[in-house]
Amino acid sequence: MKKHFNWLAVLLAIVLVAAACGDDDSSSESADSNDSASTEEEAVEQTQGGDLTFHMITHSDDGPFWSVVKRGMEAACADVGVNCVWMPGNNDPGQMVSDIETAIGEGSNGIAASLPSPDQLIGPLQDAVAAGVPVYTLNSGLNDYTTIGATTHIGQSEDVAGQGAGLRFNDLGATKVLCAQQEQSNVGLTERCAGLEETFNGEVITQFVGLDADQTEQINGIKAVLDADPAIDGVLGVGPVITMSALAAAQDLGIDLTIGGFDMTPELLDAIEAGDVAFTVDQQQYLQGYLPVVLMYLEATNANQAGGGLPVLTGPGFVTPDNAAAVKELSAAGTR
Amino acid sequence: MSDTTAGASAAPNADERLAYRGVFQRALVRPEIGAAIGAVAVWVFFWAVSVKFGQASGAQSILDQAAAPLGIMAVAVALLMIGGEFDLSSGAATGALGILTILLVRDVAGEAAGAGFSLWVALPISLLAALGLGWWNGFLVNRTSLPSFIVTLGSFFVLKGAKLGFSKLIVDQIQVGKLDDLAIYAEENGVSDKGYGLLDKVFAGEWIRNEHVWDSRDWVYSIGTLAGLTLVVLAVYEFHFRRKDVMNPTGLIGVVVGIALGLAGVWQLHNTDGAGANTIGAALIGAGMLVGFIGWGVWRYAPHTQSGTTAGRPDGVTAPLIAGVICFVAAILVGTWMDAQNGEDLTEAFDLGGGTSLAIAIVVALVAMIWSAGTGGAAAGNVIGSAISAAAAAALGEARARVISTGIVAILATLGFLNLSTEQGARAIIFIALTGAAFVSLITAATRSRRHSDRAGSALLLLTSVALVVMAFFVQSESSAPKFRAEAFSFMLAFAAIMAVWAIANTRFEVRRFTDTSADTTARNMLLSAVLLIVVGMVARLGWVTTEEAEVGGSIVKYSVRILWFLGFTAVVSWVLARTRFGSWTFAVGGNKEAARQVGVPAARTKTQLFMVVSAAAWLVGVLLAFRLNTIQASTGDGEEFEYIIAAVVGGTALTGGYGSTIGAGIGALIMAMAVQGIPSARWNSDWRFVFVGGILLLAVVANNYIRTKAESAR
Repeated sequence: MKKHFNWLAVLLAIVLVAAACGDDDSSSESADSNDSASTEEEAVEQTQGGDLTFHMITHSDDGPFWSVVKRGMEAACADVGVNCVWMPGNNDPGQMVSDIETAIGEGSNGIAASLPSPDQLIGPLQDAVAAGVPVYTLNSGLNDYTTIGATTHIGQSEDVAGQGAGLRFNDLGATKVLCAQQEQSNVGLTERCAGLEETFNGEVITQFVGLDADQTEQINGIKAVLDADPAIDGVLGVGPVITMSALAAAQDLGIDLTIGGFDMTPELLDAIEAGDVAFTVDQQQYLQGYLPVVLMYLEATNANQAGGGLPVLTGPGFVTPDNAAAVKELSAAGTR
Repeated sequence: MSDTTAGASAAPNADERLAYRGVFQRALVRPEIGAAIGAVAVWVFFWAVSVKFGQASGAQSILDQAAAPLGIMAVAVALLMIGGEFDLSSGAATGALGILTILLVRDVAGEAAGAGFSLWVALPISLLAALGLGWWNGFLVNRTSLPSFIVTLGSFFVLKGAKLGFSKLIVDQIQVGKLDDLAIYAEENGVSDKGYGLLDKVFAGEWIRNEHVWDSRDWVYSIGTLAGLTLVVLAVYEFHFRRKDVMNPTGLIGVVVGIALGLAGVWQLHNTDGAGANTIGAALIGAGMLVGFIGWGVWRYAPHTQSGTTAGRPDGVTAPLIAGVICFVAAILVGTWMDAQNGEDLTEAFDLGGGTSLAIAIVVALVAMIWSAGTGGAAAGNVIGSAISAAAAAALGEARARVISTGIVAILATLGFLNLSTEQGARAIIFIALTGAAFVSLITAATRSRRHSDRAGSALLLLTSVALVVMAFFVQSESSAPKFRAEAFSFMLAFAAIMAVWAIANTRFEVRRFTDTSADTTARNMLLSAVLLIVVGMVARLGWVTTEEAEVGGSIVKYSVRILWFLGFTAVVSWVLARTRFGSWTFAVGGNKEAARQVGVPAARTKTQLFMVVSAAAWLVGVLLAFRLNTIQASTGDGEEFEYIIAAVVGGTALTGGYGSTIGAGIGALIMAMAVQGIPSARWNSDWRFVFVGGILLLAVVANNYIRTKAESAR
């Protein structure tokens, strides 16, 4: 117990929020009784959330994608005036499980967690719900947040994102689209292609064409498919690297393709700005950091429950030649 | 065809190491021969089931996929494996050295971090870093005497982490780019591009086929390949038959007539179209071969003296003969019975439920297990068994593990095949497999009966060649695809003609059963010229378009200079391995390091240099990737090192060291590239792709092993 107090105190000192006197009180109470209602009342009475502490536990590797989520969380915490703890799991579910247990032990006022491997994480999160801690899922976990008893899920439905891409291809006049995958048996990527198939009016061919670690193979794989079927006039790359490979393949063959992608890299944004790539699906992960904090704050202070049992979608947003320049600036600033 | 001169050649009491080995036997014990045969088989396989193989765009993709990173690295890794070591950091090193190069030149424009060197400085620095990495790997292996597997695994993780760590530290991305910013920046600011423009041509130059028109291209192609193939046959003659003491010039008349007939045939093929005209052309070429080759033999080789002396029926001929005939008939039945147009999966086309598929798979597995339990499949089964699990072999006993694992492989492969292949694909595959089996059996029968009597052998070979002609006409009548009607047809006829000529030549000329250095040298030079001629023909065909093709248009085919780097690197490394002291040392330290050291080979230094060759190759690949992609992912190359090792093993290099071939590794890379390209080209379901790739690799290794064991035991 002692250890937790010290740790929390240090943390609070760092973020320079609230008076230290009320701190011992609330955390010891919630830790002892796990009665979030009383904490919540006190919080409302005392500092309007100034001593609320939220934990964001993700499989973040602190790469470019997750840095944006983290910045979103930090901005929200500053905006609403709460304490936030960023716990990156670095793709290690074991680390995430122990982080969740730590957060419960510290008497967290809200946990927002991603679910890269549901089987290992559902149990600990259910424990958190049972202990009275409001739980939100973000980024991944769309299929499991109800099982956990989480209030809602904040993220992009891969299905819906794929559907959005399909509508784009319809507008752009494509008739036959290759959905190029950079991994086999990745549920998310498969759903993106399935969503594309649902809304796209023409035919969709889904193929695995090679890992990101070997872009030569990706380029040659896409070329092989395009050569075998000249009717294909569009490619959807379900990641940023493979999207650039599709562009390279089209340029090698000297053919004009409608290319769409997923997520962003500086190169991809450049290609969109130049008009070589038609669009990329942006899941606006800044919202995935920002919204959970706001929603947890409102649940803690105002007993609001957002979502109505349905997920809150942060995407798909689209980056097209029209807004690429603006997105590039924001991306450089670290919020897109 | 394997061991025509085997057995009988050695005198009873001679030292077996000095026994004369015939040309086929000498070819078959080479480490890369299995890979070469495998490459041809895989190519024919995909050529039959897809449109792309056999076109310039297919050749371009296969070569590009094989060249870099896979091929260059496979060749270097094979060299290291012959030297008895592994380098698991080689994959990650390709990405790391590419990233290092880009970081060194990253520019000054204000926003980008990095040193901003000229490429002329950056490339040597990163090469030095590469050599340092290789030296470090070698130093650790020598100093600690730990297996290189462990030491380089450590280097692998360090490189993998460093790639990500430095990328994020310096540019705050999980990728590093962009090399072509150099050119853009130079143009915008009117400064030097730091060598980018020139080096881009060296590392990423392209030959765009569509821009090069050459109307007499097909003449060069036809004459080059035909003359090349003719020279191959003549070289085999020179290896195989005994020279006359005094040449007989009358034979040359036949040669001249043969060449004239052949040229007339080529002319006929080029200036007419349609099946009938092609048949006439092929017949002219075939007649030309017969007259020309026999004339050549009359001119050069000693007439046949000894004939079959043993009475009674020869051993071991009946079984392959019957098998050959059965396969021949079955192939024709399959060709007639299955639908050439149906593009559905086999499971759909024949409405096979899960149960039926499984039942078929189990039946196939049972057959395979019985075969594996018998002596016939023992060698192949052994390899499958050890590939699946050495642990299982320890627990269950070798034989049982072999049988069980063969069964498992057969079930998986059959299920994979039923779901992967379309009916038209399966028709082609089964047809080709049965045809292949038929002719292998028939040729085996012919070879075995030759031991009994030359005449009997030749008679069977003639019969086989007639069967091939029948098959050619069947293929032509039953197929809708032009490539079967024309290309496969004429190829089969040509091969039948070669076989017939060979059968006749063997009854007329005396087989050489002793070493003749002068003849061997001549034959080797002929082979070399043959390869050159074929290469010239192929380059003309693949590198240029005719005016007609240019007008039709079609997709653009760009050959990258990477292919030349790959071929050049393979040639240089192979030459070093075969002809220099360093090459001999490599074999020596790989075979037995201690023994090598004791006879004066600087073992530790040689191994360190081998590691440095691998990391220098990784540098080359990293630079090639940087110029091709401009941006390199932090994950580039991670995990690819196993592909290099696999390509080397498929190419006949032993995992234990001391044995192997770098040319074979290059061919192994080609096989893997074809497997990767073939599935999308044939438009098969990519979910099963790795079952297929695994099957191809396993088959290549099994075949390689089988051929080698067979050839060596026949010694």
